[in-house]
Amino acid sequence: MSKDEKEEPKPSAPGRGLSRRAFLTRAGAATVAGTAATLAGPMVIAEAQKAPEAAAAEENSIPGLVPVTLQVNGKTHKLRVDPRATVLDTLRETLHLTGTKKGCDHGQCGACTIHVNGRRVNSCLLLATMQQGKAITTIEGLGTPEAMHPVQAAFAEHDAFQCGYCTSGQMMSAAAMLHEPWGERDEDVQEALSGNICRCGAYPNIIAAVQSCRRKAMA
Amino acid sequence: MEQDSNAQTATPSKVIGVATQRIDAPLKTTGTAVYTSDHHLPGMVYAWPVTATISRGTILSVDASEAQSMPGVLAVYTHKNIGPLYRTPPTVGFSMRQQEHRPPLENLEVYYYGQYVAVAVAQTMEQARAAAEAIKVTYQPETPNVATKLLGTPLTTPGMHPGSHRGDAAAAFAQAPVKHDAVYSSPAETHNPIELHATVADYRDGKYTLYETSQAVVNHRDVMAAVLGVPPGNVRVITRFLGSGFGGKLWPWPHSALAAACSHNLQRPVKLVISRSMMFESVGHRPAIEQQIQLGAETNGKLTAIVQNYVNHTSMIDDYAEGCGEATPLLYSCANLKITSGLARRNVGTPTAMRGPGAVPGLWALESAMDELAWQLKMDPVQLRLLNEPAVDESNGKPFSSRHLKECLTVGAEKFGWSQRKPAIGSMKNAQGATLGWGVAACSWGAMRSDAETMVELLANGRARVTCGTQDIGGGTYTIFAQLVSHETGLPLNKIDVALGDTKLPPGPVSGGSWTTATVIPAVLQATQNAVRSLLMLAASSPDGYFAGSHAADMEMSDGFVQPKGQPAKRVAFGEILGRANVKAVFGNAKSEGTLGRETKYSFHSFGAHFVEITWQPEIARLRVSRVVTVIDAGRMINPRPARNQIEGAIVMGVGMAMLEDTQYDPRSGAPINANLADYLLPVNADCPKIDVTFLDYPDYHLDALGARGVGEIGLAGVAPAIAGAVYHATGIRVRSLPIRIEDLLAAPQTASA
Repeated sequence: MSKDEKEEPKPSAPGRGLSRRAFLTRAGAATVAGTAATLAGPMVIAEAQKAPEAAAAEENSIPGLVPVTLQVNGKTHKLRVDPRATVLDTLRETLHLTGTKKGCDHGQCGACTIHVNGRRVNSCLLLATMQQGKAITTIEGLGTPEAMHPVQAAFAEHDAFQCGYCTSGQMMSAAAMLHEPWGERDEDVQEALSGNICRCGAYPNIIAAVQSCRRKAMA
Repeated sequence: MEQDSNAQTATPSKVIGVATQRIDAPLKTTGTAVYTSDHHLPGMVYAWPVTATISRGTILSVDASEAQSMPGVLAVYTHKNIGPLYRTPPTVGFSMRQQEHRPPLENLEVYYYGQYVAVAVAQTMEQARAAAEAIKVTYQPETPNVATKLLGTPLTTPGMHPGSHRGDAAAAFAQAPVKHDAVYSSPAETHNPIELHATVADYRDGKYTLYETSQAVVNHRDVMAAVLGVPPGNVRVITRFLGSGFGGKLWPWPHSALAAACSHNLQRPVKLVISRSMMFESVGHRPAIEQQIQLGAETNGKLTAIVQNYVNHTSMIDDYAEGCGEATPLLYSCANLKITSGLARRNVGTPTAMRGPGAVPGLWALESAMDELAWQLKMDPVQLRLLNEPAVDESNGKPFSSRHLKECLTVGAEKFGWSQRKPAIGSMKNAQGATLGWGVAACSWGAMRSDAETMVELLANGRARVTCGTQDIGGGTYTIFAQLVSHETGLPLNKIDVALGDTKLPPGPVSGGSWTTATVIPAVLQATQNAVRSLLMLAASSPDGYFAGSHAADMEMSDGFVQPKGQPAKRVAFGEILGRANVKAVFGNAKSEGTLGRETKYSFHSFGAHFVEITWQPEIARLRVSRVVTVIDAGRMINPRPARNQIEGAIVMGVGMAMLEDTQYDPRSGAPINANLADYLLPVNADCPKIDVTFLDYPDYHLDALGARGVGEIGLAGVAPAIAGAVYHATGIRVRSLPIRIEDLLAAPQTASA
């Protein structure tokens, strides 16, 4: 059963060669690397998906794309994107930085919150072609499981999520809020983070996590 | 007290009942947890559905000529060319569950606004969406019926369907010295998990791999195999992480079949992520409900009659029954009770279970009525509930496995400061002069276990691995599995890998009904014990082993080591035993049978009480829920931290149910017109009251060996009626139709405040 479970369907159709990206994605989907991670490896796919350059050949065959250059997490990416593509969809579908989530596409839920030139924005409301030359930071640029940003560590410690889907946006908002002129009260945090909806309702723990960061920053 | 006779204290454990950080916390806090729409496969293309812009009528034509010539467009599928998609057969037992039985694009009929009428596939998401929007569909529309009036309107059956009953409720109500009779309504509520429903379908060599947003991968596989017309072995369903579901992702919806068919037809992986507006149309909702409640009582408050007659709306094509009478027959002692129900068809999408189906809307009505009865009796509403506590489940005569509702009420009252309550309407003020209102409600939710299978491996690398085809939808199931294996082996949590959410794993339970934890406990404990037994046999039987010549019965596993019983000085790390024996892993499998659908000796339910304070400022018509104290009796908490989080989150959802949420259908088009998150209001952080949750933590050993019952749903039940009661206490306005709006309160007396 264990062996069976680790079997993945193998690509066989003509013209569907296994790129490095594809291999990593499938390997990630299939089995456990002997790491210190306490979850079995199947979940650790995002790391493996960070090989967007391998997709370039594929993108060249798609009609109607335009070249853009984006600065994301300190790296320069020369891409071809659909001129209608939002920053959100470009991050997720072209750069495979899938930590940034889509919840509404209307700027109403905050799940897609990123930083552009240090300010928090809803990436679903920005066109990729309009963000050239700007410094984009995503959750992947905020910190990693091995080197977390204080906000990430506080969210983990305070159980400031349940399903985890809105969490990237919550943390990007919270990290930006640390540098914004808000008061010290819990109510200030609540107001500042009300653009990020958590349907699981983990708000009490989100408030606790953010306040612990703010207290540490002031200490 | 009868209640305390079955109370037991929790057995000590290093990990069970200990607040534990989730093992997936590092992934969820760094964007590295992979959700369904995060999957990206080589050669993957994008599908975007075309949705009906009428809610009743017939498709006259679908013109895709413009769409098909647009850049990047690979295909447009309609009922003519989508290929065969089958209906699921009726099945016995708890399997092959599906709410909307009509396969997408089956014919030209339109039954609800947003029904899929075509799908475009293109190389980029933008191209697919543009193509879908360029497809011209003409209709022969008919006048839809989306009326919210339900009681007294035509039903799907000749009369109301009889439910639980005892005594002669009608006669007892007629003779009761104190009577309350009112109708309570609640609107269609939309689950709105922040993760959009999505399918990434990968068809190759006759087999489908479906990355799904599913609360039940095993059922999803079986349904999709039936819909696609292939054996279940040819479908694999994977949900590693779910951006929550609240019931909306329990059963497959039509987009899954659309994505699979597109992948089949194009021989390429296809990603289909539905839009937020589609989330209001074609993936279920809690139906609109009207309930008549009649309560009869003696002048001392003793209930003599409970009558509940309710109708919920359903779609034109499926029967969804909300089951609002779930908690009514067992919450209070009453000799005479009668419940009837009916379904009324409307031109809406098929409803489905939403968090606490049945009990949550049912208790909205029953507990509101209890509050009104208390006012009529001039009785404290806590006292009224304490007075009507039953000794057994009067619906079936069975003893409760563990019931502590009275303690929930008394502990909650103490923590809230209920003794300071001034009953007169509008008489309580806070320090700023705003009017306070206090309200209370009881809650209940059934507890049960379903069948489960799990496998536990102890590996030569010193790690353990536990696998099960269930899901973690945010409740902390990954961590529970690790805790259970740790409990049996003594291994630390960071040496235990957990794999869930894949039909290639041993079949596990749905993530629903609040029963996942209780369900997996017996199977995981047994599988771990079996693996340990195999390990000890290996240790004793290996001729060159550390314990050659010993007997397995004289050995034990402790803190992750193997040792002769009680002799830690002689312990050996279990991985070394496997290594020396040249064995890669020892295995333990287990299958446990559930209580679901089987006769049980006890009535299994969880209980709780909510105490709510609202703040009312009539000058600016501002109504806030300021404080909630909740006491929950749901057995033992395996991991109190995420358990508390779930109850708090349910209270937040209850604020939404009470004051914000309302899916509104346009009577002309049948469209859910507020189908976005700016017009369908969800509670945001600033709406969150101060919340104080207490777990009574009485283990329910009649349900499972660790005494856990589950906490996913009970926290939502009772919140709305407690809020409505508090609003009445502050304003004198009784709102019987959710959500409570400022407009409802404008008639309230403008009491002077500072």
